[in-house]
Amino acid sequence: MEPILSVQNLNKYYGDQVGCKNMNMTLYPGEVVGVVGESGSGKTTFINSISGNLNPDRGKILINKDNEIINFLEISESLKRLLIRTELAFVHQNPRDGLRLDVSAGGNISERLMSIGQRNYGNIRQTIFKWLDKVEIDKSRVDDFPRTFSGGMLQRLQIAKNLVTSPKIIFMDEPTGGLDVSVQAKILDLLRKLVRELNLSVVIVSHDLAVIRLLADKIIVMKNGEAVETGLCDQVLDDPQHSYTQLLVSSVLQV
Amino acid sequence: MIELNNITKKFTLHNQGRTNISVFKNLNLKINPGEIVALTGPSGVGKSSILKMIYGNYVFQSGEIKINNYKIDHKYPRNIIELRKNTIGYVSQFLRVIPRVPTIEIVMEPLLEINFDQEEVRERAEKILLDLNIDKNLWNLSPLTFSGGEQQRVNVARGLIRNYPCLLLDEPTASLDNVNKDIVLNLINEKKDKGSSIIGIFHDESSRKYLNAREIDITKISHGN
Repeated sequence: MEPILSVQNLNKYYGDQVGCKNMNMTLYPGEVVGVVGESGSGKTTFINSISGNLNPDRGKILINKDNEIINFLEISESLKRLLIRTELAFVHQNPRDGLRLDVSAGGNISERLMSIGQRNYGNIRQTIFKWLDKVEIDKSRVDDFPRTFSGGMLQRLQIAKNLVTSPKIIFMDEPTGGLDVSVQAKILDLLRKLVRELNLSVVIVSHDLAVIRLLADKIIVMKNGEAVETGLCDQVLDDPQHSYTQLLVSSVLQV
Repeated sequence: MIELNNITKKFTLHNQGRTNISVFKNLNLKINPGEIVALTGPSGVGKSSILKMIYGNYVFQSGEIKINNYKIDHKYPRNIIELRKNTIGYVSQFLRVIPRVPTIEIVMEPLLEINFDQEEVRERAEKILLDLNIDKNLWNLSPLTFSGGEQQRVNVARGLIRNYPCLLLDEPTASLDNVNKDIVLNLINEKKDKGSSIIGIFHDESSRKYLNAREIDITKISHGN
């Protein structure tokens, strides 16, 4: 099996400040990679740099689209935009960043469909209902504005909005960050089911090691903009080798 | 077949004065298909560590571990993921699941990775839950609120629903009453008869005898400290 996404020696600086440097990652179809580390360690810079939100200064991002390798940083801006709308998806920590609050729930979901050229109202409406059902939002809410939704519903709506065009690679920045724990469990369950059903490949940033343990296959531990330890998720968490990972793992409160 | 050849394992605790804890030196172990090996020895001697090295949770400093002739190499996590998906089953002592996910779905999950027929998988999950005396009323509830013994049986159901060529069992009967313990032991014996290589930790001698397990005292084969 070939990786669907491969990041090689990626660097992003803010002036003289290191955002992230020498980052490498291989993501296979159906695989979830977790990126962990404390605030300011470069997690968000990294995920933004590999998803088209930021322009990295150096490095390579290779995306495998139907066995054709696309050099993401060297293609035209319009092709990049198309890829971002079709092959990639980005789920923000704050769903308000990923949704249009003055457009109905259904309108939010249909946006990506229309942007890739779907015009048949009946088909679009059907797809919207299918996705509302998948993320467990009642159909009757389809014409309501997101601002009338709870935090957990907004996050589920954002997930539906992103997945509607069947992207293969999903980037998530703290997707359960602002949610209370009971809602968090529901989102985690939903994400796991979707990953399996749709064979999604996911890069997920979180500072919550418990979330990462439940979702991720592999892990990247970041500190000061660099990866200090990478590997199999439960190996890195159960038998961490780097002193920083040991500190991180031993700092988690037991419930 | 599971093989451990000349394994050295130590822990280095960087944040606690770089303390080195040596667990194994030159550890050798082999579990044949259709065989059950029971690890014995006092707690803290490294019984669980052996299971965790085989499953890939723990790294080792030297030597090699081979599962059906396939070497465990932490440089290639993808291969360990594949190995877990196809070859090694693991029943741990504790249930670790997403809150609010129903028991039946937790048990179905390992099979869904290789079998996409939801109905068939559900039937097999229902059967093993019935075999293990988990009340039907509980199937649609999260196991996190269950009793210790019930949780353990859910864990066993999840680990034994498939026929893995290699099976790792960490105290699978520790909190079970005698009736349920016998049921679990019989299920384990079935897996052995189907040709699994099984290695486990069983705290009571009667279980080890019942399984006709080859006992290995870890204190005699590891040379820690």
